Amino acid sequence: MARIAGRIDRSRVVLTAALLALAVLWLSPIAWVVVTSLKPSEHIIRLPPEWIPWPATGAHYYEVLLGSSRTARIGRAFANSLIVATGSVLLVLATSAMAAYPLARMRFPGRDLVFALLVGSLMIPNAVLLVPQYVLTQRLGWLSTYQGLIVPEAAMLFAFGVFLLRQFFLTMPGELEDAARIDGAGPWQVFTRIVLPLSQPVLAALAIFAFRSAWNDFLWPLIAVNKPEMFPLPVALALLRSAYSSESYGPIMAGAALSALPLLVVFVVANRRIVEGVRLSGLKG
Amino acid sequence: MSRETRTAYGFLAPGLLLFAAYRLYPLLEGLRLSFTNARLGRASEQWVGWANYARLVDDTRFHVSLWNTAFYTVASTLPILAVPLGLALALNRGALRTLLRSVFFFPFTLSVVTVGLAWLWLLDPVVGPFNYYLRALGAPARSWLADPYTAMWAIIATTVWWVTGYYLVIYLAGLQDIPRALYEAAALDGASGWRSFRAITLPLLRPVLLFVVVTHVIGSFQLFGQVFVLTGGGPGDATRTVVQHLYETAFQNFFQFGAASAMAWVLFAVILVFSVLQFRLLRGHTEY
Repeated sequence: MARIAGRIDRSRVVLTAALLALAVLWLSPIAWVVVTSLKPSEHIIRLPPEWIPWPATGAHYYEVLLGSSRTARIGRAFANSLIVATGSVLLVLATSAMAAYPLARMRFPGRDLVFALLVGSLMIPNAVLLVPQYVLTQRLGWLSTYQGLIVPEAAMLFAFGVFLLRQFFLTMPGELEDAARIDGAGPWQVFTRIVLPLSQPVLAALAIFAFRSAWNDFLWPLIAVNKPEMFPLPVALALLRSAYSSESYGPIMAGAALSALPLLVVFVVANRRIVEGVRLSGLKG
Repeated sequence: MSRETRTAYGFLAPGLLLFAAYRLYPLLEGLRLSFTNARLGRASEQWVGWANYARLVDDTRFHVSLWNTAFYTVASTLPILAVPLGLALALNRGALRTLLRSVFFFPFTLSVVTVGLAWLWLLDPVVGPFNYYLRALGAPARSWLADPYTAMWAIIATTVWWVTGYYLVIYLAGLQDIPRALYEAAALDGASGWRSFRAITLPLLRPVLLFVVVTHVIGSFQLFGQVFVLTGGGPGDATRTVVQHLYETAFQNFFQFGAASAMAWVLFAVILVFSVLQFRLLRGHTEY
């Protein structure tokens, strides 16, 4: 018995060691980005690769955030992305929570049709809508504006949000709502005072999912924005590449590291929620 | 109309407006545009029937893009299924699993541009660390992204690294749902680890595998960002994809919205066919 247990333990240790090695390897591309961004330009292209950026410098960060006039400043792009991602999170949360509530809790003609339509739309590939979405946004006069990014990003996630929240509302016990109704609360009060506060975990998961999606989207802003001062981060970064690639990877890598920062913070603070949101996204299948 | 009906549609109104304007309308408008000669700035567009579709039959660059996209989709499916599954099996229990899961999940929080830039630098043919270590091991160095035989594989590797964390979480959730009693019973019957993987894990994970494959295929057919950053579609047209072709047709070459819309609908049809086939294949005979 003891010998078998010992053998299992040993294979466990070997497996854990192998996984740790793989994990280090897995993080090395990111580590390389950060290391490069901190090196003075003349150290960046040294071989063999130096994994400790010493002497370290913040010059590349200064250059992309404030100094450069060659491309859209990353500092401005960072702010743009923050505005767009926050705006679309708020819009997705508001519209999908309001829509999911009656779909879960009320009886009315057309309910199943509306729900089927929303679920069916999850199969529409975003790339298929690109051109008509552009035509529409242009007609609205929304090209190169915040609303021209916020509204389409929110629309992309709306159906998923409804699906997710409806699922959650269905599992909520109805007694509290009934009690509030008996006390004379209208549907809106029940929704805002009872249902929403009870749904905080799933709302947080949806918020993080929507933030990630809007923060990282590339194709739509590439098309919908043509003023450099309105570029969100991914577009500004892609253009940074062509502006610098011949001289130095330093500023490009500084920009790349900066773009990873907000989600890294969210990730460290709310690891559970992110994973939960992703897990729930699998439920739609 | 009953009071409840009015209330319900009152709640639904903002969302349905958003949905109708930016999902439903563009879907139908795109279909209509695909039968016109619409261009950016053209005042009056004309109905051209199937002409845009007919032109795709002769558009060799479109064929190449379609082939590349299909190749990418098929070639990346196995690694996308297997790598996160292997990790999920290893990380389902054991020491340090929370930390390790976070590590493998982390790349998924990055944007495609950040991922692309990181790998571009990593794979740099002259001063990138990847080639340096290859040479140190005695293997030949290559410019992976400039070689038509390896460029698409480099894009696949990049993508696997990027999205593994997402599928890992999905698989872990699926594994948690498998009753442990089944494994215990199998172990009592003397089944090996491999045997219980084949007989218990795989069949019970089937819905999860289906979800992963369908999600991956829908995403793969829309491959764009990685290619845009890593190769620009090159070398030659070796990594040119359908969405890239569509993007250039609609927004770089004379803004041919009609022609691009036809491509979009062909792409949509291809994705639908693939998805339905996979449903058939994987859902076919589920037996517990």
